[in-house]
Amino acid sequence: MLSIKDLSLKYDNEYILSDISFTVKRREILGLLGPNGAGKSSIIKILAGLVKPRSGSLTLDEESLSFEDLRAKCGYLIDSPSYYPHLSAFNNLKLIERINYTKVDCKKLLGLVGLGDVGKKKVRHFSTGMKQRLSIATAIMRSPELLILDEPFNGLDPNGYQDIINLLKDLNACGTTIIVSSHLLDELEQFATAFVLINKGKIALNISKTNLMKSNRKVTLTFSKDFNASAEALIMEKEGIFISNRVVELTIKPEEIGPIINALVVSGSIPINIETHTILQDTYFELAR
Amino acid sequence: MKALLYTEIYKLFCSSRTYTTFAIAIVLMAIINLGLYTDGENILSFILKPLKDYFILEGNILNGYLIAYFSLNTLWVHIPVLVIIVGTYIFSSEFEYGTIKVLLSQPISRTQLIVSKLAAMVLYNIMFMTVLALFALVPSVLIFGKGDVMVLNDGLHFILESSFLKRYVLTILFATLAMIAFSSMGMFLAIWFKNTLTSILVAFGVLIFHTLIQSFVLALSSGWQQLLFTFHMSMWQQFFVTEVPIRMIVKSAIFLIAMTLIFTQLTIYRFKYINISE
Repeated sequence: MLSIKDLSLKYDNEYILSDISFTVKRREILGLLGPNGAGKSSIIKILAGLVKPRSGSLTLDEESLSFEDLRAKCGYLIDSPSYYPHLSAFNNLKLIERINYTKVDCKKLLGLVGLGDVGKKKVRHFSTGMKQRLSIATAIMRSPELLILDEPFNGLDPNGYQDIINLLKDLNACGTTIIVSSHLLDELEQFATAFVLINKGKIALNISKTNLMKSNRKVTLTFSKDFNASAEALIMEKEGIFISNRVVELTIKPEEIGPIINALVVSGSIPINIETHTILQDTYFELAR
Repeated sequence: MKALLYTEIYKLFCSSRTYTTFAIAIVLMAIINLGLYTDGENILSFILKPLKDYFILEGNILNGYLIAYFSLNTLWVHIPVLVIIVGTYIFSSEFEYGTIKVLLSQPISRTQLIVSKLAAMVLYNIMFMTVLALFALVPSVLIFGKGDVMVLNDGLHFILESSFLKRYVLTILFATLAMIAFSSMGMFLAIWFKNTLTSILVAFGVLIFHTLIQSFVLALSSGWQQLLFTFHMSMWQQFFVTEVPIRMIVKSAIFLIAMTLIFTQLTIYRFKYINISE
């Protein structure tokens, strides 16, 4: 659907983004990941027409278009939520509705993001989580075909996460393509269908969820007592790394996890804790370290 | 464009700052009227003492027209201060609230957005000057009545009652133009600094600097003085001399229009290419 090619951004002789290229397929939910300062927000600001890149091009459904023109097809949430504090949530939405020449049921929209009861309240009295929900309402107002969200879970409580994840899943089921940036790997893994990991302005990993699921996992097993000889032999066979007498780290295919644990239990070594990491998590933690 | 203009005007009227500046202007007028109502005769006789040796002064000297002129003359330095607060805020508040990101991520043109903000700023200036003009004139005429006006401005000028209103309306129109010119500088500063306080402080600094030079640097030739925008802003006073120097006033009006256009162009250019990265 949307292809970004050779995107570069330079501030004060320093490259913030360098040759970023990736594609978002229609109906995909692309998770944009990376440590602080990696360049995720810069990519989103460029896609929102707020920052002009040094170079780069876009194609939407095989047709090239400018970053400014992309705005007509997209809904955005740009990092921290920003509103007119002296206006109510309803009036804030109405202003955005008016400049977009659209007709939207703003009450219904507020209800959709869980702000149905506080629409008349001035935004200055809102919590960060409520403002975040209002930002999401603005982003989805025009029922865009592409939704671009920068840190949509900021300031939300666990219920808030789940509400927004459900809303995004519903929108995606109705055909909306979504690009979402976040630090929250677990939340993203719940619903994203592809991942692009950015580090120091470059793409460190670009992987679909299907391939991610197929890729080797790092499994850390903790046992209640020291390994016996047959358990040790099993672990050696899988080229496991012994962290201590009771902790071992294996890099194995997802489908191998069950059988090896079974085999270890049969050999008399019962794991009391099993921790699995995907390649995404490993790469992320490696970069963030 | 129509929708953008509507939203800008809506935001202007939803801001308490707009009404605060109107209220301050009205309170200042009320204080002047009250002061002159209680002690006006004494103040006037003190001012006119030297003249009484040479002239026989008859009629209602302390009248509403004189007070309206006196009010404008007293407040002409303070009015820009009030105007710049709102004029700057129209632009800088978007950066401070972060709403500029929400606005610019909508499919609207940057030029249209800035032009609609300019229009809101011009509308505010017109409204402010209208409120000021009405509250400077109507209550004082109701309290003190009408009459001829004596003006001390490079000599003594007598403004007949019959010609006062025409001069007053022209003064307000010229002052509105001056305020728009000053606000256009404020809006450029707001786009440049992206911050209300800094923009207002710099605008005040420019105003004070120009006023000081105009007031104290007597060595300045009239040619140099004409480069100071406070010189052109104060040209409204020339409507209250016996023979109105039309050429000088038109020249100043052209200067103020040019200043407005230059700052508008600079603002549009700057805004068009600015990166909203914070």
